[in-house]
Amino acid sequence: MFSISGPILFAAAPWQVFGGSSPILQGIFAATGFLLLVLLFIGKVPLSYNLMNLKTRWVTTLFMVGSFMLVIGVQIGLLAFVNGMYSMTESSGQPGNVMIMSEGSTDEAFSNLGFADATEIETQEGVERDEAGLPMVSRETYLGISQQLTDRKTGLSKRRFLQVRGVDGPAMSAKVHGLKLDTGGDWFSDSGVREINAAGDTAIEAMLGAAIARELGNDRSDEDLAKAKRTDRLDVGDTFQIGDRVWYVTGVFESSGTVYDSEIWTRQSQVGPLFGKSTYTTFCVRAKPGFRKDQRTALIAERKKSAEEAYQEGVKLKQADKTAPTPKRQSVRTEYTEQEWGAELLQHFFATEYKQAAVSPQVEQAYFANLSATNVQFLGMAILVALIMSLGGLFGIMNTMFAAISQRTKDIGVLRLLGFKRWQILVSFLLESIVLSLIGGAIGCALGSLCDGFTANSIVTGGPGGGGKFVVLRLTVDASTIAVGMLLALFMGFFGGLIPSLNAMRLSALKALR
Amino acid sequence: MKFLILVFENIARNPVRTILTSLGTMMLVLVVTLVFTVLTTLDKVTTEKSANIKAIVTEKWQNPSLMPYSYAAGLSDGAADPNDPNAIHPQDSMTWGFFVGSTESNPAKRGYENLFFSFIMEAEKARTMLDNIDSLPDEQARPLIEAIKKMKEFRNGVIVGEGRLNKLKKRIGDRITVYGRNYRDVNLELEIVGTFPKETAQYTDSAVINRDFFETELDTYKAAHNNKPHPLADKTLSLVWLRVPDRISFNKMTEQILTAPSFSNPAVKCETSSTGISSFLDAYRDIIWGVRWLLAPACMAVLALVISNAISISVRERRTEFAVLKVLGFLPWQILTLVLSEALLIGTLSGLLSAALAYGVINGVWGGLPFPIAFFPKFAVPINCLWWGAAMGAVTAFAGSFIPAWSARGVRVSDVFAKVA
Repeated sequence: MFSISGPILFAAAPWQVFGGSSPILQGIFAATGFLLLVLLFIGKVPLSYNLMNLKTRWVTTLFMVGSFMLVIGVQIGLLAFVNGMYSMTESSGQPGNVMIMSEGSTDEAFSNLGFADATEIETQEGVERDEAGLPMVSRETYLGISQQLTDRKTGLSKRRFLQVRGVDGPAMSAKVHGLKLDTGGDWFSDSGVREINAAGDTAIEAMLGAAIARELGNDRSDEDLAKAKRTDRLDVGDTFQIGDRVWYVTGVFESSGTVYDSEIWTRQSQVGPLFGKSTYTTFCVRAKPGFRKDQRTALIAERKKSAEEAYQEGVKLKQADKTAPTPKRQSVRTEYTEQEWGAELLQHFFATEYKQAAVSPQVEQAYFANLSATNVQFLGMAILVALIMSLGGLFGIMNTMFAAISQRTKDIGVLRLLGFKRWQILVSFLLESIVLSLIGGAIGCALGSLCDGFTANSIVTGGPGGGGKFVVLRLTVDASTIAVGMLLALFMGFFGGLIPSLNAMRLSALKALR
Repeated sequence: MKFLILVFENIARNPVRTILTSLGTMMLVLVVTLVFTVLTTLDKVTTEKSANIKAIVTEKWQNPSLMPYSYAAGLSDGAADPNDPNAIHPQDSMTWGFFVGSTESNPAKRGYENLFFSFIMEAEKARTMLDNIDSLPDEQARPLIEAIKKMKEFRNGVIVGEGRLNKLKKRIGDRITVYGRNYRDVNLELEIVGTFPKETAQYTDSAVINRDFFETELDTYKAAHNNKPHPLADKTLSLVWLRVPDRISFNKMTEQILTAPSFSNPAVKCETSSTGISSFLDAYRDIIWGVRWLLAPACMAVLALVISNAISISVRERRTEFAVLKVLGFLPWQILTLVLSEALLIGTLSGLLSAALAYGVINGVWGGLPFPIAFFPKFAVPINCLWWGAAMGAVTAFAGSFIPAWSARGVRVSDVFAKVA
């Protein structure tokens, strides 16, 4: 799936970087821009001489730019993947939602909540109500399912992990999670099943996330695709199979960029017994924004106290045992939006005061933010690969610049006789290397940004023992990705050109012309 | 021989260029070696075997698989009907549950450094059923065999991988308290009795605890909570591993398991370990595809460009030298071979050196490549990487230097000396 947003993002990158990206990147780019300006205007370097050389040695120039382009293009692809993972986990979760699981559970997959618990929770004061006065609670049974299927290419049987969420009221659940159905879609019916042919065969009704609709759509045979309403994904009226049952698509959610894009929603009463999980796993509750407004200061004070106690405990431990980890003060967040305040206080209420059932509440955004262990692993690997490849590229550039200088020794002598100072010679060669790196880096960024919008399968987890979810994520090239790519190019160009340029600078006019 | 000396002399003539080309080659070969290390390990574990097959029984529908422990006895015998003389009994079996926790009591300070990940299993099966340990000779497995003996003496004994021991800053003989993460409020007092053999890097971050001990701890939890069992008490069995001699036995045993009424709620599935692992890895298929078909070829392409550039410059600088060689009687193909040999020598040696360093440092110092994908915490760099590295260096050097070498071959004596004159 090619997206034109990649090149557009690339073109818009400088503005976005200075406008909305991290202060560190802004600082680095501002410093680089300043350095280039200083080099160009104050250095009075013989630019026309540099340009002439680049043209004359066009093969070498082309090879250098090609190396930069490939290295940076690959880096952008790797970072786009990691960026997509982070975007997904960070954007998942509504600001006012609290996920309630059973006590002892760290993830939905291990949670068991009784039917009676739902009624109790729904009547709590802190739970928001909608326009009709209904409690905004989504009762859910989350299931990780193995789907048996045949590989279209090899014909071999294989399995795929799917997330199925059984819910009671699809409209309320979608409202709580901030999801909307795409045009033409509908909620599944009260029974959750429907007849699909004259023979009376029935199918389980389901609503699909945008990403999983695309993934399941790829399983269709050529014949099915020829008859399909949409070839890029499953759509309303299409069917698919999990286990022995046929599933009928009643609606597809609009893409939300969250993990819910990778889920299949169906009626809880159908899916629970089918897969041997009759209890609920999660109640997702929308908190009242003004809930216990007067207790906000106390909550922050309590958290600060707890963080300080943990720090002091760590200090004592370190004093007693030098090999213990160095304690760090945990920062306590103090600024929240009204909705987030509601969620924080409702979570605190369920964690400390609610006695009707043993539950484990988590703010939904925090739950998804914790599913970032895989992101960290992939980011670490991407950084390692980027560094090694950049070093490889750097040595290549250094080699080329050394050769360029040795070929132009006499030129350097002439330039020195013409009055150019040593440092101006240095700037001249350094600029040549930097400009080539920036051109190669820019082409690499443009090339790499073509992957923006592609989808890829992965798993996001909170580490061993934590929850894991199979997700279809969208590769995301944004201004920060481009900025990092250009910085890498700059790093290679600067350091690759620095030592050869210093060598050029040290040449005396007489020695150079001899 | 003289030709070889000439090649060496030419390489030694410009040490800066040779070193830089070599370093560039080493870096890029290193990336490809890392990529191939991961890919070959994954390919190896997902290749179907025809004999000595390991089967995995897990819950049919749900992931993660959480079966009642009451399934263990029947499944360990392959659900064989005791009255059926033709029933297939597995040659060996092992049950697995997972206990994940932290040695840090304060939840706020829990992290990777104090993480504790363990298999709940029958300790003696660590020798006979765990992948790669089962094939080790007794000599190499000796420390583990001793540790298993101790685990039979001390029910709360634990075998901990060396990497994890280092992270926890613990030694054999130390006692640790592990605070449960997946089994919340189940805290285990354990005594470290041994570690895994050095040759099995994949277990460096793992641990083994006694199944009996863990079940007793769940009973203790129940007694302490008004006779209310832990929420996961009836879901402590995640996998059952079974060993069968061949595919026929595997098919028959699978049929026994799938048709046995005692394993229908929850229903189970039985598959070979390679199928199970490849199904799990399917979730990573796009990443694996990207690494195999984009990252590795891109590295090779950059490498070819770097070498090509270096050799091109060298050829341009040495046009006079090639003309002199021709005057001295060198034929065009000898000039071509000379330039190709220089590139091949640098490429091959740098590739070999890079792979050898990767093998030594990653395996020797880090205990494997720490890239925790799926259930592989670390990947050991295979010894084969030595020839991959050399081959990669050679192939890319050849590809990168062929055109410059061809150009060197075509140097015209008259043109060169006309310019010189």
